[in-house]
Amino acid sequence: MSVGTDKEQLLFAAALPIADPGERETFLQTACAGDAGLRSRVTEMLAEHAQSERFFSECISSLAIDDADVSEAPELKNEKTVAGEMAGMRIDRYRLLRQLGEGGCGVVYLAEQEEPVRRRVAVKVIKLGMDTKSVIARFDAERQALAMMDHPNIAKVLDGGATESGRPYFVLELVQGVKITTFCDEEKLTASQRLELFIEVCHAIQHAHQKGVIHRDIKPSNILVTTHDGAPVPKVIDFGIAKAIEGRLMDDTNFTADGQVVGTPAYMSPEQAELSGLDVDTRSDIYSLGVLLYELLTGRTPFDQKELVQSGLDEMRRTLREKEPQRPSTMLTSLTNTDLAVAARHRQLEPPKLIKSLKGDLDWIVMKALEKERQRRYETANALAMDVRRYLNNEPVVARPPSQFYRLQKLIQRNKVVCACGLIVALTLLVGLEVSTSFFFKERQARMEAEQAHANEMLLQKKAKARETVTEAGVLLSHGAMAEADALAESIPVELLSPSRESSDVFRRLGLWNLLHRNWKQAANRYIVLLQVNQVDKNDRTDQATYDLLLAAPLMVEAGDLSDYDRMRRAALTRLGGTTSPGAAEQLIKTSLLLPADDALLKQLEPLERVVAGALKSHDPAVNDGSLLTAWRVFALALLEYRRGNFNAAVTRLDECSNYPKQSPACVAGTHLVLSMALRQVGRIEQADAELEEGRAMVQNQFQKKLESGNDKTGKIEGWIVTPILLHEADALANSAAWPSSESE
Amino acid sequence: MPNPEVQHDVTRMLQANEPGGAMSQELLPLVYKELRQLAAARMAREMAGQTLQPTALVHEAWLRLQSNTSPAWRNRAHFFGAASEAMRRILIERARRKLRLKRGHRAEHVSIDTVDVAQTEPDERILLIDEALTRLNATDRELARIVTLKFFGGLTNAEVAETLEVTERTIYNKWTFAKAWLLKNIREERDSGS
Repeated sequence: MSVGTDKEQLLFAAALPIADPGERETFLQTACAGDAGLRSRVTEMLAEHAQSERFFSECISSLAIDDADVSEAPELKNEKTVAGEMAGMRIDRYRLLRQLGEGGCGVVYLAEQEEPVRRRVAVKVIKLGMDTKSVIARFDAERQALAMMDHPNIAKVLDGGATESGRPYFVLELVQGVKITTFCDEEKLTASQRLELFIEVCHAIQHAHQKGVIHRDIKPSNILVTTHDGAPVPKVIDFGIAKAIEGRLMDDTNFTADGQVVGTPAYMSPEQAELSGLDVDTRSDIYSLGVLLYELLTGRTPFDQKELVQSGLDEMRRTLREKEPQRPSTMLTSLTNTDLAVAARHRQLEPPKLIKSLKGDLDWIVMKALEKERQRRYETANALAMDVRRYLNNEPVVARPPSQFYRLQKLIQRNKVVCACGLIVALTLLVGLEVSTSFFFKERQARMEAEQAHANEMLLQKKAKARETVTEAGVLLSHGAMAEADALAESIPVELLSPSRESSDVFRRLGLWNLLHRNWKQAANRYIVLLQVNQVDKNDRTDQATYDLLLAAPLMVEAGDLSDYDRMRRAALTRLGGTTSPGAAEQLIKTSLLLPADDALLKQLEPLERVVAGALKSHDPAVNDGSLLTAWRVFALALLEYRRGNFNAAVTRLDECSNYPKQSPACVAGTHLVLSMALRQVGRIEQADAELEEGRAMVQNQFQKKLESGNDKTGKIEGWIVTPILLHEADALANSAAWPSSESE
Repeated sequence: MPNPEVQHDVTRMLQANEPGGAMSQELLPLVYKELRQLAAARMAREMAGQTLQPTALVHEAWLRLQSNTSPAWRNRAHFFGAASEAMRRILIERARRKLRLKRGHRAEHVSIDTVDVAQTEPDERILLIDEALTRLNATDRELARIVTLKFFGGLTNAEVAETLEVTERTIYNKWTFAKAWLLKNIREERDSGS
């Protein structure tokens, strides 16, 4: 910090009497002659002037001395003692022994507690200038939750209060360890050893999350490693403190004049950067864990701390929010040879091998934890730990999009080491343990509910629990334990689920599984949940967003949830009706018209009709293939005409349908059935009956067989699922038309 | 009456120091003691609840010491420096004590609700200013000295100018600049702690 050169002081004094801001600006511009730094420094000081005058004059008038000052003023002490808390001093029950360290927000002392037990502790005294009262209030609010944390890898926060000079302090379990990154490098731990340590850290964080405590400031200096009987034990420190001192980490005020920033932006999640830490949940910690893993593997953070700080506040926010970090392996290739050699030596590997070891699984795991959108990250610290464990066991990791080849590759790798059967047994046991643990936590949860003050934390905790259950269901799914996964998923209260890719994935698969087993009601329920948890991006207007409706809508009708279906189709149209994708438009039309519709709904379909009709005029084979896709689109438009009561137009469309080669058998069956209804409506009864029988034969044949997902050739299940509904309607129409009323011709 | 022993020691020490040089660490406790005794004597005469301005105290101390040892008191700078420094410590102790009384042993009853520096209460301000002054002293001793004389010693610009042998205008300019710098520094420091 520089106090300004003589030149600065002179300019300050000279500019001060110039009252007109414009004139003052001109004066400074001329006087600073292109030295922008000087000019901005002087301008900053001038801006401070008015307030500083008031500040000091108010202060001077309060400097009066009264008798108490005279009688109670102590003898003159050593200057340093006067300046603040020092070794030898006593805070409450704690005697400060020596300073252990100094951080951005305070000083840490080694201290001795004398009662009720004599022990050594760490006392962290927060800098003066914090709002002591609210710090203590926030700490007290969190105290209950902190007290419930009991984990070998978490250093306890024992006490908190205010020193005599009014500074907040915290008493922490004394951990005499070294920063995790330093420990790993000094001990030259290999990647697997580092991952083992990391898994333990994840478990500690998971424990805290289950108690409703978010750390908010996970970084290497808050994870110390000690050795216990020769084995390294990581300890997470400072739980609850970031919240108590309300780390307004990204507030503008945290930038000092020379670009210093307090806090550790390199470890900050995008939502912490964006929302000033307001809407931070457990997934923010997952992000920071991702950064930690990144650093443990590569020796670098995804974004360089220095660069982040130097780029300025807005740019830093933008980077954290938008910029994709390099994959860990890519990061290593971009290092200089010397840096890479150092990183490799610390991990006992040759540089090329180090890069190779990160490529693939570890890259994916890290990148999944570092997703900008928190719903795409691992749901829980446990899920992250489990994926790292899968990597260590050579099992397929969740972070990787599955492919047959990849799975096979993993199976082979695995069999090299251990018999696959044994592993599956072990995994089943692990899952079993996990389930019983979850019951244990349920009980604990009930106890905590008594505490009204923690209502918020409770919800958070339940949500974390729900997310964890989803993860468990996902694991069961990946091991083919479908029924178990389904039971587990059913137990989750829907309102606790927040949109996430993992949840939608689990419920989509369970929906399909139930469907193929003809559990219509359950399948419909899974899809209803899916539609709720899948609202990831409201602006997604591709056919991916509407795809799930193809199964959800017919299942709701099939399960008899007719009013649910009606609500759902209207909601879907309102949310997604603006799409310009012909695929999405076609899917919306089809799924909205499984049952007759009123005028309002038909009106809502008009823009979609234009999109589909437009695509049918296209000569681009990618848009209009003149085959399978085109047939489905013509079918959708025909169904729309039929629902409007334009029966002849429907017949024309449907006749056109049969022109397209290689169409889905499901589409052919659907065409027969709608055509039968349209023909019957215009009085062509014989033809109508013929179409109906052809359609019926196809539907019955399909649904007598074992249900399968299907393919383009046999017809996909999402196409077929509509046909029984249409058959039912066509039959009903035939029966009512068999006894024509007197009005018909 | 001032303590004759103290008076003697102060005189001796003032004479031993070069004019304008750094303040003697030995001198400080003596002036501190003198100021406190002086204040105590004044308080005893005044009614309870009466207060004294530091400016008045420092000046009274100066006048007493000067009148009693007239030939030895040529080095105003040293006296005022020491007196201001002593005054600073008395005021800091006082601010701490008052805050302590107000807050009690624990902070549950602290009345500082505002985070804005400009809204802090006077006692906390004095501590904040003093901390910033320590930082200022590390980089610009001259400026820090002016602040101590002006703020804690309560001297006028003319007195400081005479003490430091510069023009009054210079003191005015530097004091104004220092105030702006200190407030800015307090803000930065406070914000970086949150």
